[in-house]
Amino acid sequence: MIPLRVIWKLILLALLTLVVGVAGHVDGGYLTTAYALLVQHEATLFYGLTLSPSGIDPHVNASSELGIPLRSVYDTLVYRTGRSPEEVQQFVPGLAESWEVSQDGLVYTFHLRRGVKFHDGSPFNAAAVKVNLERIVDPAIKSQKAAFLLGPFRSVEVRDEYTVAIHLSAPYAPLLDSLSQVYLGMAAPQSLARWGVDYQFHQVGTGPFRFEEYMPNDYLTIVRNDAYAWGPRIYAHQGPAHLERVVFRFFTDPAGRAIALQAGDVHVMGEIPPTDAKRLQQDERFAIIPVPIPGQSLGLILNTQRPPLDDVRVRRALLFATNREEIVQAIFGGFSPAATGPLTSATFGYVEMPATLVRFDPTEAVRLLEEAGYVDIDGDGVRERAGQPLLLDAVLMTWGSLPEVAQLLQSQWKVVGVQLQLRTLTYPAALEVARTGDYHLIPQNYAGSDPDLLHTYYHSTSAFNWSRVSDAVLDDLLERARQVSDPAVRAKLYAQAQERIMELVLLIPIRDPVNLNGVSARVQGLRFDAQGWFPILHDVQLQ
Amino acid sequence: MLILIARRLVGAIFALWGIATLVFVLLRVLPGDPARTILAASGASETAITQARQQMGLDEALPIQYSRYLWNLARGDLGRSLFSNRPVLLTLAEQLPSTFELAVAALTITIVLGLGLGVLAALYVGSWVDRVTVGIAVLGVSTPLFWSGLLLIWLFSLALRWLPASGAGSWRHLIMPATLLGFVGAAPLARLIRSNLLTALQADYITVARSKGLPEALVLLRHALRNALLPSLNLIGLQAGFLLGGAVVTETVFARPGLGRVVVDAILWKDLPVVQGAVLLVASTYVVINLGVDLIAMVLDPRQRES
Repeated sequence: MIPLRVIWKLILLALLTLVVGVAGHVDGGYLTTAYALLVQHEATLFYGLTLSPSGIDPHVNASSELGIPLRSVYDTLVYRTGRSPEEVQQFVPGLAESWEVSQDGLVYTFHLRRGVKFHDGSPFNAAAVKVNLERIVDPAIKSQKAAFLLGPFRSVEVRDEYTVAIHLSAPYAPLLDSLSQVYLGMAAPQSLARWGVDYQFHQVGTGPFRFEEYMPNDYLTIVRNDAYAWGPRIYAHQGPAHLERVVFRFFTDPAGRAIALQAGDVHVMGEIPPTDAKRLQQDERFAIIPVPIPGQSLGLILNTQRPPLDDVRVRRALLFATNREEIVQAIFGGFSPAATGPLTSATFGYVEMPATLVRFDPTEAVRLLEEAGYVDIDGDGVRERAGQPLLLDAVLMTWGSLPEVAQLLQSQWKVVGVQLQLRTLTYPAALEVARTGDYHLIPQNYAGSDPDLLHTYYHSTSAFNWSRVSDAVLDDLLERARQVSDPAVRAKLYAQAQERIMELVLLIPIRDPVNLNGVSARVQGLRFDAQGWFPILHDVQLQ
Repeated sequence: MLILIARRLVGAIFALWGIATLVFVLLRVLPGDPARTILAASGASETAITQARQQMGLDEALPIQYSRYLWNLARGDLGRSLFSNRPVLLTLAEQLPSTFELAVAALTITIVLGLGLGVLAALYVGSWVDRVTVGIAVLGVSTPLFWSGLLLIWLFSLALRWLPASGAGSWRHLIMPATLLGFVGAAPLARLIRSNLLTALQADYITVARSKGLPEALVLLRHALRNALLPSLNLIGLQAGFLLGGAVVTETVFARPGLGRVVVDAILWKDLPVVQGAVLLVASTYVVINLGVDLIAMVLDPRQRES
């Protein structure tokens, strides 16, 4: 038998090696492994995504993650400029050099750029646009998003080789925004026909990068398109991209994201948790690029049909009892602006709500609850009316830090005598509850650059009208805003719609979602497009 | 023995049928409508959602859905993912190599570590080696993987910069996840081997072997360990199944591709065909491994051959 002291010595030796190793490397900050050398390779950018989407054909699938790589593979007919609310958001030429909208708003005519080639060598023209749009609306491909972005699409007509017209059955102002999104990116008809169902693994566009390889859950690579000479104005430089190749990898575990960035596995990492983001900000080797996401604010929609929330005084009391600033500081590390309404401040048409409508005012909350007849008679800390305690049921999902937000709400509302019960469900289960109406509160958190998504969530006829509101004024505003093409008029209508939503108190807004991107200091020129989620990789350089 | 194997195979087919049925029923009891989930972010109308449900064949009566499912299964058709529209078989198959690689490496570590620690603890019973071994075993069982995984990454990727923090593809990527996963399995194995070996070492045949003047190593390896190992075989079999299905956390922490992540995503999103296919795949693996374990036991243990 091996004597015990020999084993003891071996263990000691192993420990010593480890300690010496740690001491020698901990402050080095340089990469030594072969893998790290690969990461350091001049023109290959490693980009961390947060989930591996199930299906990545932009015409078919709906996730935001698919757009992060594919925004650079596809060009769109138009591009949306600007992101900040101060900037007037407008559209600039992409694959379409110019366009006209008919007086009645039913026909959009696009004059296409000449000399554009797909990655497979085939030419881009009006016939290609027709193939793409008809593919998207074909029920057989089961489009999850793109087909709906086209709204009341009726048909597409090839006028000549470089002129194409889209016919609608009703005026639809969001159309240009839709056409600026990667989901309506232009794919090569030749390759679509060649690959059929397998197209998502062989995608071919006209963009600054070619699709190379995709291994679900593992990696997705795109390589530079050296022929690229038709970049839109929103790109900082013309000609081919700087980077040779971009490798995307998937990091579903939030706790591991900052570590992967620090370990040198990736140069860019999306959705860094706020606490890690604060730490990375202190480190000169990294930077945090916070990108506000246009669309819905993170908030909890109130079911106006279910007592006691059918009383607007109770809904307003909840709104006034909510300290949004405290939630934003505690859970989102102060990186997110506190939301005041249904849209985020990065969205076209956003207006900040006046304090008369949205503020933290527990005294007024108490007054409103008492006016509505809720008093704590039995002294248990929960108000009641006619023997019914003020007990609310919130349905939550695990993402968006919703459970943490709801726990803080629970304690904030307890102060004014409201008891909040929390139910965390899977997404499909929560949607099922949303359909049946068996809830008081349910979250909203969808991204989108056009405020028309208010129509989806607050129009009385919508399948996703979770507040179950039926308000003629609001319906009218949302319908008109969808049809009017003048941006200034639209913005005014949406301002009124947002105010109407908060007058009726259809939701408790919490924060504007902000994507905290962790970026290595070697990455230069990284910007994000008007959608917020999608990087403009064309201009990125590695130093 | 051939009859025995045949009998076991028939049993296995029935077991798989039972599992297929159980998954089918469970998935339909769970709340949630895949059509609604897929279209939730799109602003689809209620009519569009109904249409999508029809297209997926989810509006049909359950018995019809069930018989179509079984019929397709019998033909080896696992269907297509509701989300990606790809064949389930392909979706699972492309994740299998990574999971398999991790499982084999982890199992090797489990066996080597479990055997080593178990034997060591039994030989030096009561000494500090024994106590440390038991301590390590307890630690292995009770430490959550997502935490110890991060700790490993911090140490070996961030501080030492010896190993990549994430991904798959080379043996360097395999070291940390395999060690972590292997360690968890090694803990119960070490404790089982220790107690079995202690029992065996007390047995009369060991005294006989020793009094014959056999070298201690031979006594240990040929006589004591061989008997002590038999009960551990089943445990190793169970571990192997667990590794295939249960590597989810490890895969997530180390951002590795693999079956586990596909299954979890599919359950969370209610991608029915993918969940059904994956459960069947894992279940078949269990069945095959258990069959293998039984065969090995028969080879090792004459008593089992006779019964």
